[in-house]
Amino acid sequence: MTQTLIDVRLTVNGEPVERAVEPRRSLVDFLRHDLGLTGTHVGCEQGVCGMCTVLLDGEPIKSCIMLAVQADGAEITTIEALNGEELHPAQRAFKEAHGLQCGYCTPAFILTSVALRERGLDIPREELKEELAGVLCRCTGYQNILTAVETYLAADD
Amino acid sequence: MTDVVSIPETEIAPGQVGGRMERVEDERLVRGLGRYVDDLDPPRVVHVAFARCPYPHARIVSIDAGQARAIEGVLEVLLPDDVLGRTGPISILRPIPEAPRVMPYALPREIALYEGQPVVSVCATSRAIAEDAVAALDIDYEPLPHLSDVEKALADDAPILHPELGTNLLVQNPRGDGNPDAGFAESEVVVDDRFRINRVSGLPMETRAILASYVPGVRELEVVASTQAPHLFRKQLSDSLRFPEADIRVTTHDCGGAFGLKLGIFAEDVLVCLHAMDLGRPAKWVEDRMEFFRGATQARESLHVARMGASSDGTILAYTNHYYVDLGAHNSPMGSPMLSSLMFQGPYSFQHGYVERNVVLTNKVPVGAYRGYGQPEGCFVRELLLDRIARKLRIDPLEIRRRNFIRPDQMPWQTPGGAKYDSGDYQRCMEMAAETIGYEEARERQRALRDEGRYLGIGLACYVEMTGYPGSKFLGKHGAEYGAHEGVVVRANRSGGVDVYTGVPPIGQSTETAFTQVAATVIGLDAAKVRVIAGDTQGTPVNTGSFASRTLIAGSGAIERAGREIRDKALRVAAFMLDVPVDGLELADSVISSVDDPEISVSFADVAINAFYGHRLPEGELPGLEATAYYDPISSAFSYGTAAALVEVDPETGEFSLDRFLFVHDCGRQVNPMTVEGQLHGGIAQALGAALFEELVYDGDSGQLINGSMIDYFMPTTADLPKIELDHTEVLSPVTPMGIRGIGESGTIPPGAAVANALCDALAPFDVDINRLPLTAEYVWRLVAESRAHA
Repeated sequence: MTQTLIDVRLTVNGEPVERAVEPRRSLVDFLRHDLGLTGTHVGCEQGVCGMCTVLLDGEPIKSCIMLAVQADGAEITTIEALNGEELHPAQRAFKEAHGLQCGYCTPAFILTSVALRERGLDIPREELKEELAGVLCRCTGYQNILTAVETYLAADD
Repeated sequence: MTDVVSIPETEIAPGQVGGRMERVEDERLVRGLGRYVDDLDPPRVVHVAFARCPYPHARIVSIDAGQARAIEGVLEVLLPDDVLGRTGPISILRPIPEAPRVMPYALPREIALYEGQPVVSVCATSRAIAEDAVAALDIDYEPLPHLSDVEKALADDAPILHPELGTNLLVQNPRGDGNPDAGFAESEVVVDDRFRINRVSGLPMETRAILASYVPGVRELEVVASTQAPHLFRKQLSDSLRFPEADIRVTTHDCGGAFGLKLGIFAEDVLVCLHAMDLGRPAKWVEDRMEFFRGATQARESLHVARMGASSDGTILAYTNHYYVDLGAHNSPMGSPMLSSLMFQGPYSFQHGYVERNVVLTNKVPVGAYRGYGQPEGCFVRELLLDRIARKLRIDPLEIRRRNFIRPDQMPWQTPGGAKYDSGDYQRCMEMAAETIGYEEARERQRALRDEGRYLGIGLACYVEMTGYPGSKFLGKHGAEYGAHEGVVVRANRSGGVDVYTGVPPIGQSTETAFTQVAATVIGLDAAKVRVIAGDTQGTPVNTGSFASRTLIAGSGAIERAGREIRDKALRVAAFMLDVPVDGLELADSVISSVDDPEISVSFADVAINAFYGHRLPEGELPGLEATAYYDPISSAFSYGTAAALVEVDPETGEFSLDRFLFVHDCGRQVNPMTVEGQLHGGIAQALGAALFEELVYDGDSGQLINGSMIDYFMPTTADLPKIELDHTEVLSPVTPMGIRGIGESGTIPPGAAVANALCDALAPFDVDINRLPLTAEYVWRLVAESRAHA
């Protein structure tokens, strides 16, 4: 049933965005289908698989279990914010370590890594495994993902 | 046997065959610029949702769609009667030999046979409205007695799911050789058991998805699908829609994981196309994860009743396995796995063997292909029985395998199961695994710690894997509706490179990169000058697709042929341009030059431009620089290896840690060692998931799936897996291009058996025998508790 639209104002990848959305519109559907930012993916729509991970005010969140209207006033970062002619250091680390296969989970892992680096901590592998457990991958067995993230976190600015 | 010591990796340029080339796929994928189906939102796109049967077996008494149709935005509701008259059944790509073809229609005529089967299809202006309409349907079901277990399905009083068959046993396929009874009679020790293999899901992170567009009058049905075989998808759509294949185009831009599950079409694909054709608007369906667990093919579930006999020195004398595959409600395009039969011998040289596949119908989601396709199951049963014999005879598991391996000088080896092993040194992989894991030290440590009440275990499992098909004629004899070949078009371009057109879609297995390396090497180009255009039925030769560990074997054969044709023509044209004999020219690094005088040279780009213009060509040479070539394999190549696991178990709780996991394998020539490792990591992770955590559990009373969500189905996360240690040998296969053996599925085969054998080894003081998966702490605890109760 068509629902009354609600206005949302937020910042996405540095750009101000203002739209009227259905209250039931999830943040991920809003990003993907209203804004055309399809680098964020959908895997379960129940907050488990992490394919939809984006940064909300710098923190990784699962955008499938957040409504677009809840993101009102927030600053959202998606994989597209990292894109340029040259790869972002996190993207480069994943490519060099063969940290991806089908690529469906990759933007989520890269954004999670970017947020980890922002925290500026030295994270041992066993802890890193827990930090990254919010995003699933069925192709790689995670080993090369861990290597990629470690390389990226350890790299000089 | 050819034993090749490969060129050290450091001496191979990354873009050539054998080099660690970074993947060409990654430039788009790390940027989030892959194009998965749901990334496409064409103008006027409409959305599909399905009403699915909530019961495992039910008669559809009535359907009232009045309220659903009245919802604003609902464009079309298709009921079974709307679909049955205008579509054919969903065809089977690989029929089960001697079995009747149980082919479903897109919607069931009267009886729904599993929970999750689509019953009504709704198309609306948004997915949310389509789901609102599904909720507004009034469907009256009469639940029928259901079967969720193969043994109950074969009982005399079982309801017959397909009355026209008169039985729930779809087929019984025997294979074997020798005289197992005589072998058992001669045996000093005979072990037997019933092994239950868990039902699991391939679980790609991208679910099934399709976008279909059709413009009335133009007669072109354009389909974008998440599939591993676009050309076969096109053929099956044509079969079911009764629409000319020539008028269908199928494209897979990017696929977010497939693993066998996205092989062939599903009912939903037919229905989405019908909506698109009826409405003249693009129609899209992206499966949600709840649908996925109840609608996408599942895998592996089987009951194996197996028996192994050996002489007092541990020589296997006979092995039999009668296994019962829980097929679910009907055939899927790739039906029931047959490699538990063909590969049941593994790497051991016994002569008396019998294996019998029984395919049983139940009220569950149909079983389809899943990476490994019967081989993990067969390996589990065989390797566990062999360890039991070792324990009974007090022979070390390492030693009993040494006594049974097929030796390199016995190749080629014809198995009782019907396979012909091409080459390999099976023992060497095991010895390398034993050495790396520190087998003897681990045994000493095990003895020492047992005195402290700690239980360490060492487990081994060895496998031989069929990779690729032994040719299209073989498949034809077995009724397959596809060939074993791959075909490519390789076309030079004015930028000095080549475009390689292949129907093999990008599904994560790095085929774009591997094909690039093969083309660059064969022609003599920089890898950066090769572009692979993949996964579109328009403009690519009719091919088979990415499955059965066959893609690189057949694909590289085709690229090799087309590439040589292009190279040879480029050399002839260059010779004419340079006015020198062709014999003294070579093509390397994208330049054609004289072997004697490198100053005499012309770039591949200039040769290609001249060939396209046709201005300066030798007499009789036609313009253009491109080639189409096919390659049909002459035989399967057999990969092999050994997995080794170290565990420590707490018998009081059943909890255990997987302290080391090692995998030594041989896949012949490694076109790209980096992506070979990636394939193994992924396969091993899926195998450990199935061995330790994953199981689709059906409630016996209700017949319903009770853990069909990502929250309840435990796929491994980063935190759940051990470090995977890899090593390899490189014995080139004599039967494939460049000596390649397949690698995509190997990782799935022995891990479960290695971990189970390690657990039994650790718990040897309790004399426990594992006979099921997954290996949960509760299961291990029960084994110990039962053992103590008997003691």
